[in-house]
Amino acid sequence: MTAVAGRYVGQSVKRREDARLVTGHGRFVEDVAWPGTLHVAFLRSPIARGRIVNLDVSAALAVPGVHSVLTAADLNEHAREWWQNMIGKDAPMPPKRLLAEHDVRFVGEAIAMVLATSRYVAEDGVELIDVDFEAETPVLVERAGFEGVAADDANLVHPEWGSNVAQALPGPMGPGMPLDNPALEAVLASAAHVVTETFTQHRYLCVPMESQGINVRWDRHRERLEIVSATQSPHEVRSCAARLIGINDSQVHVVADDVGGGFGQKMFPATEELAVIMAAYRLGAALRWIEDRNENLIAGGHARNEDLTMTVATDESGKILGVRAHHREDIGAFPAYAVGSSASSVGMYLPGPYGFGEYFFSSEAVFTNTCGRVAYRGPWMMESVAREQMMDVTALAIGMDPLEFRRRNVVTPDQLPFTTSTGLVYETVTPQATLEQAAEMVGYDAFRAEQAEARTHGRLLGIGLSSYIEPSVGFGIMGAEQVDLRIDYDGSVVATTGSGSHGQSVETTLSQVIAETLGVDIDKVVFTQGDTAVAPFGSGTGGSRTAAVYGGAAREASVLLRNKVLAIAAEVLEASSDDLDMDLGVVAVRGNPGATISLADVAAVAYAGYTILPESIEPGLDVSFRIRAPMFMFSNATHAAVVEVDPVTGAVKVLRYLVSEDCGNMINPMVVEGQIAGGVVQGIGGVFYENFVYDADGNPLTTTFLDYLLPTAAEVPTIEYGHIVTPSPTPGGFKPIGEGGAINSPAALINAVRDALTPFGARVVSQPLGPQQIVDLIKGPASSAESI
Amino acid sequence: MSEHILHLTVNGEAQHVLVEGRKTLADMLRDDLRLTGTHLGCEHGVCGACTVLVDGAAVRSCLMFAVQAHGSQVTTIEGIADADGGLSAVQSAFRECHGLQCGFCTPGFIVSIESFLDAHPDPSDEDIREGISGNLCRCTGYQGIIKAVRLAAETRAATPQDMSAPDDAVSDARVGA
Amino acid sequence: MKPAPFDYLAPTSLADAVEALGSYGADAKVLAGGQSLVPVMAMRMSRFDHLIDLNRIPELDFVRHEAADVVIGAMTRESRVGSDPTIAENVPLLTDATQYIGHFQIRNRGTLGGSLAHADPAAEYPAVAMALDATMHLVGPDGSRSVSPEEFFLGPMTCCAEDEELLHSVSFPVWGPGSGFSVQEFARRAGDFATAGVAVGIRVADGVVDKAAIAFFGMASAPVRARELEIELVGQKAMDLDFQEVGNQAVAHLQPPDDIHASSSLRRQIGAQLASRALSTAVKEAT
Repeated sequence: MTAVAGRYVGQSVKRREDARLVTGHGRFVEDVAWPGTLHVAFLRSPIARGRIVNLDVSAALAVPGVHSVLTAADLNEHAREWWQNMIGKDAPMPPKRLLAEHDVRFVGEAIAMVLATSRYVAEDGVELIDVDFEAETPVLVERAGFEGVAADDANLVHPEWGSNVAQALPGPMGPGMPLDNPALEAVLASAAHVVTETFTQHRYLCVPMESQGINVRWDRHRERLEIVSATQSPHEVRSCAARLIGINDSQVHVVADDVGGGFGQKMFPATEELAVIMAAYRLGAALRWIEDRNENLIAGGHARNEDLTMTVATDESGKILGVRAHHREDIGAFPAYAVGSSASSVGMYLPGPYGFGEYFFSSEAVFTNTCGRVAYRGPWMMESVAREQMMDVTALAIGMDPLEFRRRNVVTPDQLPFTTSTGLVYETVTPQATLEQAAEMVGYDAFRAEQAEARTHGRLLGIGLSSYIEPSVGFGIMGAEQVDLRIDYDGSVVATTGSGSHGQSVETTLSQVIAETLGVDIDKVVFTQGDTAVAPFGSGTGGSRTAAVYGGAAREASVLLRNKVLAIAAEVLEASSDDLDMDLGVVAVRGNPGATISLADVAAVAYAGYTILPESIEPGLDVSFRIRAPMFMFSNATHAAVVEVDPVTGAVKVLRYLVSEDCGNMINPMVVEGQIAGGVVQGIGGVFYENFVYDADGNPLTTTFLDYLLPTAAEVPTIEYGHIVTPSPTPGGFKPIGEGGAINSPAALINAVRDALTPFGARVVSQPLGPQQIVDLIKGPASSAESI
Repeated sequence: MSEHILHLTVNGEAQHVLVEGRKTLADMLRDDLRLTGTHLGCEHGVCGACTVLVDGAAVRSCLMFAVQAHGSQVTTIEGIADADGGLSAVQSAFRECHGLQCGFCTPGFIVSIESFLDAHPDPSDEDIREGISGNLCRCTGYQGIIKAVRLAAETRAATPQDMSAPDDAVSDARVGA
Repeated sequence: MKPAPFDYLAPTSLADAVEALGSYGADAKVLAGGQSLVPVMAMRMSRFDHLIDLNRIPELDFVRHEAADVVIGAMTRESRVGSDPTIAENVPLLTDATQYIGHFQIRNRGTLGGSLAHADPAAEYPAVAMALDATMHLVGPDGSRSVSPEEFFLGPMTCCAEDEELLHSVSFPVWGPGSGFSVQEFARRAGDFATAGVAVGIRVADGVVDKAAIAFFGMASAPVRARELEIELVGQKAMDLDFQEVGNQAVAHLQPPDDIHASSSLRRQIGAQLASRALSTAVKEAT
């Protein structure tokens, strides 16, 4: 398959979403105002762990405007099932509850909900709830260390679970992973170089600019639940709501119009949203909860917060012979899905763009009395954070430049199809090409001279590279998306699908694919998503699948519909459909410019004049196509960062940042670059600015935007791009790209800092790298990875 | 608890609203006038999504009480495009340069930038970065926004009629609302 | 995140405001620009029965050059302070400091008096007032009084104004020819409150320092002067100053706060560099 640059596909088509959004006419969850709606505010736990010994809501109920106050006693027993479409009903399920009952398990856990005529009054009510606790020792990595938490059987986050260990791999729950690898042990015992290091990443968060929120009303006369939600997946919300209260999916109508970012946080309905759903159903009321920023930060779901120890064995030449890895995660109290662990993905994707030889991966995840883990743009990205740092650390340990070390291990074109140490098969990735392009663009060799010169003036410059393979899964509900396509009586094209765009420009990009493939003017394509009443079942938007899976389905649906249009036109024009072309909605006979028929006329035949058609052609002009995606789809990229470290203030300035990527055919290069840029800046934020901090009692210290620091325009460089286009074998040749910016940037940035701090022998293996950490690294005892 | 009748002009239209003293300007615009383009991203004055013009000056509408706007001229994002729906240079540039993805922060950026460009018609790149640093975006990495400001400055320089302050451009706030 | 209820009053004269304050005392809070107060109210970390809004009192919004001082009304907005030509010419340290305050949208509402009375130890204006030996004029039901910055700033978020008093205006002495000023600040991000900062004034006559003021912010529980060093500097030849050494001396006696963004020792390290840079800049401007 070759690269395409058509009328629409491959063009930076301006977004159809923008006209409403730049004029203030988007329709976000908070913009929906149903009459008679009651506003919800939650009473939240101020302590990390303890018994609820008194809960008296009477004073709150007395506030004029407070309609009711609900507690666990009102709601929890009515909750039926909690499992999620994307995860499946068989995944292990830690304890779940709508509201805290008898005890509290993290600061921010919802205890009671006040329903009132406005959010102002609801908060007045919350303040008047009388609640007392008997505090218990919180289970915290910050307090007891990871092993301490894992071993503590006296203090359990979830007594029902019986242990603070949420998951351990390999183990009975592992995805068929071997329990050991004797061949790896032999390699480690005999290799020329064996290097071990542990990399840590801190707790940082999705922080969409629009927080979570939901409007829910139960129409008891029609037995229908109506939901407007800020979600990435309307069908997931529908199923979760239906299961929770025990009604049918078809009784629930979920709409998500404009959604203000998600990054994983809005993949599944929050516990608070489920509580609102249950309350609306029980009360037969219209309810609305809009999470405020404080709630969003302390209780909206946390991410990252893990470490990974790698041991790498190489031969004399620097060829990797084997890798052992152990991963540890703090998943908080109530992770958003299953046990919240990303370990199986981390282990699977860890080899990335390299041959690892013999391999063994293990992991452990613990519950703690903190906010639970949620998916965040590449939830498994610790594999890139650790691997790409380990490439640099290993290179340094064996006396080789990190670029050269990568060159010796990167998967090359002649190795394709390449099977990784974990059994993944790469067919169309180009990691060697992006590595070389990034090195060329950044001027790697020239930089070394510049760096040496700068050091003589006391300036600390550093360069960092990071390469990765971006996986997108195509199994379970994520691998079979459907696009419904019809041409209406007037010739306009109507497309619906189960995506849940929250900034990804899906309205534009899928319309591009449809218009291109079908042969119509893009303005004739009406695209609808985010509405379960009209869209076929889908898994929403997330997991870097929109282009490859929805895009592939859109392309195939368009081919089917185009074939039908041409078949009908062939009858009318008395030509063979093989001799017909359609462009901009006009079907013409090749070589006979006079013989044409418009799409509207074809539609008229299809809907009304079908008697002229043979029996073999069904009347109407609508098709559905549900794709079966490959189990895994892959793209790849190399990032390069150049930074300068101020040794006095500890500030790091990113001087250059560039990305060489291969996401196959780009539907819309502008959108591709936008996705990359947003992810990269989330990495800049994560490494240098954002840090969610708990104290040793489990109290969150970064509860507002004054302390949880998002990067601004003044903190980010201009991002440069290099594109290599190697189409995938899927329809359209599209590949995943949505998460890669956030996955791959941290390691490039950290590597650049380590490189800048080389003169100090600083052991740079953890984040965040704020001024304090940088200055500590400069002052700290020089140490490096142990090398045998 | 006090309630107040306030009279103000929003996007060129006279408005009379009964509000509680504690109600923020942002909530009044959104709830009482149904001008929902003004977004609340943090409610503590950091993210800038709620930026509106009060008597021509860009301010955080989450940090003003509605009653404080009594007698003022307020311009929200809904009042930036002209009465016929023609986009301002800044709005057009956002579309042209992919200055938005989810669009939630966008109204605050656009209102801020209209004001910023009035004061800095020919900004340097550093001016632009500093000028928009009071608004947070989580999707774009600011790349498209910075480009959009540059383009809008050029467009405005080439079309002097766009130089008038947005609050002079009387428009019907309810069009399309 | 919505404020608790309160009664809102918007007096249109200073006299009315003082009268209201006199009636409600500790049950009332004064609203200036609101850029720090309203967030705290939204988080319900501050509550009171009456909010007295000073934004409709024109007599508190002025900039006047009076004798040896520039007197600025408490309700003068930071955007005006930053752009006023009288201030730029006579109290350039204020102009310089203003650019570091938040973002322009914040400065469009924030006021000089609000910033001073809020007494955030990491804020710029309190340090400028401290450096310049400004005089704060307070009014209350029992009349007016004037205090020095040392008397005014009592600690973090605490000034000396009684419950019934409000800040009326501030007099900033004009240093005159031969003076140089600089504000230097380090913050995590553009517009953030300072991790550490310093406001410096130097006056040089015939190549010799005859007046020096160094006031740090973000480095203590209130803005703090380096008085001993200032005394040492006076009489020294400006050209002979070792700025790095002077910077180190300036912070030697400080015990800056620790927080999640920076330790005490990092603040001192940054403070020394900022002081050195500010002194160098100020001397260059003065000579």
